[in-house]
Amino acid sequence: MTAACLADPRTAYDDVPYTRGGGVERATVAELLKSAVEGDQDAWRALVDGLSPLVWSVVRGHRLSEADAHEVYQIAWFRFAQNLGRIREPEKAGAWLAATARHECLKVLRAQRRWTPTDDPQVLDRPCDGCSPEQTVLENEAEAERADRHRTVWEEFDALGDRCRQLLRLIIAQPPPSYREVSVALGIAVGSIGPIRQRCLRRLRKRLTDRGVL
Amino acid sequence: MNGRTTFDGADEAGEPFDEAQLAEVEGLLREAALVCDPVPSALRDAALAAFALHDLDARLAELTFDSLVDAAPVRSAVEAPRMLTFAAGDLTVDVEVGEDGLLGQLLPPQKAGVEVLTRPAPEATASCAADATGGFSCAVDVTGPFALRVRTGDEVVVTEWLRV
Repeated sequence: MTAACLADPRTAYDDVPYTRGGGVERATVAELLKSAVEGDQDAWRALVDGLSPLVWSVVRGHRLSEADAHEVYQIAWFRFAQNLGRIREPEKAGAWLAATARHECLKVLRAQRRWTPTDDPQVLDRPCDGCSPEQTVLENEAEAERADRHRTVWEEFDALGDRCRQLLRLIIAQPPPSYREVSVALGIAVGSIGPIRQRCLRRLRKRLTDRGVL
Repeated sequence: MNGRTTFDGADEAGEPFDEAQLAEVEGLLREAALVCDPVPSALRDAALAAFALHDLDARLAELTFDSLVDAAPVRSAVEAPRMLTFAAGDLTVDVEVGEDGLLGQLLPPQKAGVEVLTRPAPEATASCAADATGGFSCAVDVTGPFALRVRTGDEVVVTEWLRV
């Protein structure tokens, strides 16, 4: 079943080799990790650039406040650095980071539930700063339209249910995470990723059609 | 799971889906994410700086108890202090995080230097000392990520980073 899903090229997110040095030299995460353990700062930089979007996507999917999101992201990387030489399966470094970020996110949510009787509005309504056209320098009409489109897409994405938002936020990370990383980041089976992705993208497509974006 | 068809070319409503259409939506969303929600550059910098933490000449003390996760919920009008336990081999560090800072206990009891790290740099933000009973008290604000570095007579132990 799992093999069948991964064999489907439309839904397979293979373990993408991360790029080192602007796309010239390609190295696997495991190799980068090994070099970083030996003190290679460039390897660390490549790991950060390759895996940061994944960590950020995990954090963003959990709808934490801005401050919490920033701290969880940092904790994940600080722990990763601390454990660099102890990670038993270096090729799964991304999964390690994703799992750590998820674990910390759940801790934050647990603490909120325990101490805050009412919902924190800051958590529920995160503004979409970067998409606001007025905050961007718009040189022409086409650019304004594109910014407007981004904002609409992001609004509709943000209005999806938790499950869809979490999953889609992960798979659109750039570079794209592997299925294994998505699986540990969400605590779901690899086999359910493809079907959920399809369902969620259909929902989003419907919304975007209604908004006139598609 | 066996027998469940998940890639039968139809969605939950039974309508056929077109992968090209879904890929188009995914592409739009990816583009929007790059503009609307990129990794903040300050965070990338923090992750880059974290490299300094990897080669600290110290033993790692893992978090083995966190009251937030491991303790039974207690109904209380006031916020109970967060209790943490870290372990590195024979050495155990118990910490209570209160409003006035950190109250801690080393086991086995011994004198030690205790430093509070709040940034991924070798320099400590605050330091205090454990007396012969192993008790220590650090008046420090730990509202963000932090770790403790404990210097006993013969070794240096650093706790896992966490936040409370």
